[in-house]
Amino acid sequence: MNLQSLILLSADVTVEKQDGFLGVLATAAEDFIKVFNKGGEVLLSLMGGILPTLIVLLTAVNALVRLIGAEKIEGLGRAAARPGIQWYPVRYIVLPFVAVFMLTNPMAYTMGRFLPERFKPAFYDSAVSFVHPILGIFPHANPGELFVYVGIATGIQQLGYGLGDLAVRYLLVGLVVIFIRGIVTELITARMMKKGA
Amino acid sequence: MSAINNLIVKIGRSVGGVVGTLYQAGRDAVDTTIRNVIPFMAFISFIIGLILTTGVGDWIAKGLKGSASTLPGLLLISVVCAIPLISPLLGPGAVIAQIVGTLLGVEIGKGNIPAQYSLPALFAINPQVGCDFIPVGLALGEAEPETVEVGVPAVLFSRLITGPLSVVIAYFASFGLYSK
Repeated sequence: MNLQSLILLSADVTVEKQDGFLGVLATAAEDFIKVFNKGGEVLLSLMGGILPTLIVLLTAVNALVRLIGAEKIEGLGRAAARPGIQWYPVRYIVLPFVAVFMLTNPMAYTMGRFLPERFKPAFYDSAVSFVHPILGIFPHANPGELFVYVGIATGIQQLGYGLGDLAVRYLLVGLVVIFIRGIVTELITARMMKKGA
Repeated sequence: MSAINNLIVKIGRSVGGVVGTLYQAGRDAVDTTIRNVIPFMAFISFIIGLILTTGVGDWIAKGLKGSASTLPGLLLISVVCAIPLISPLLGPGAVIAQIVGTLLGVEIGKGNIPAQYSLPALFAINPQVGCDFIPVGLALGEAEPETVEVGVPAVLFSRLITGPLSVVIAYFASFGLYSK
């Protein structure tokens, strides 16, 4: 099929509907190409809508992370390893947030190496659960899985609402959830380790 | 004279460093966009095109409308996604979560699902996040093999509790979201 016929197929047809076998074929061809026309429209709106912002944002945050230097957060990893109830928020809120922001998915999980063995599964659980809630505001952390958030956000946009409210709430609820997840997984890990020993 | 020279060299070097960093950051950004983001956009666009132009959309809408616009329905989705045998299968690349998210987005856009439910839905479709990746993630954190052995079931079982719990938290956090 050459370009000319594609254009002809995609143009609005004003002539009368054909009858018979050829008519059915023609309708089928139109329906066929309609799917991809619609898909193309969606693709263009995505590329024109979020892509330019995303590229600029990725550039800025990448530069920021490089200028700060990822090795600066190692001290935080050591602080999070301390026992005691006051370090729980550091271990399961601050460290996952900073790790996912600075190191992004999947390198964020390397921060687990500063923690004792009994905290490692809980930290992984906490960090991996944050790679999507962060996407609303900082998509650089996990651009390959953007559509977990963008898919739903597109629907909100179509309704004419702003995305700020959803993005902020997703991030905040995400922080609460990873905190709970860290604690629950730590408890389960402790029980299983005791049983195994 | 050499002091001035040193200063100039120093300034030149740091400016060059910053510009180089920014340039490299831009290169990385475009690289990720082309390799990870645009291919997925193409794939998602095709699916949306298919949904909007064929009858598939109505069929999915009927299925989703019942489950995704009530709290019990969302809880059911999250429990299914969190079942320890299913969650590692749903995990890889978050592809399932991204497709379901997009389907829900289409239905929210058409008004079939209330906009307020977008927040709990984001958590309902995602209790399986990273469940396929636990051994690798733990290895990245330099965990001992014994820790991995305990860690994998620990995370999977934890999700059964925290998955539905996250939906409930998000449900209560969504009050006042996009309500007129």
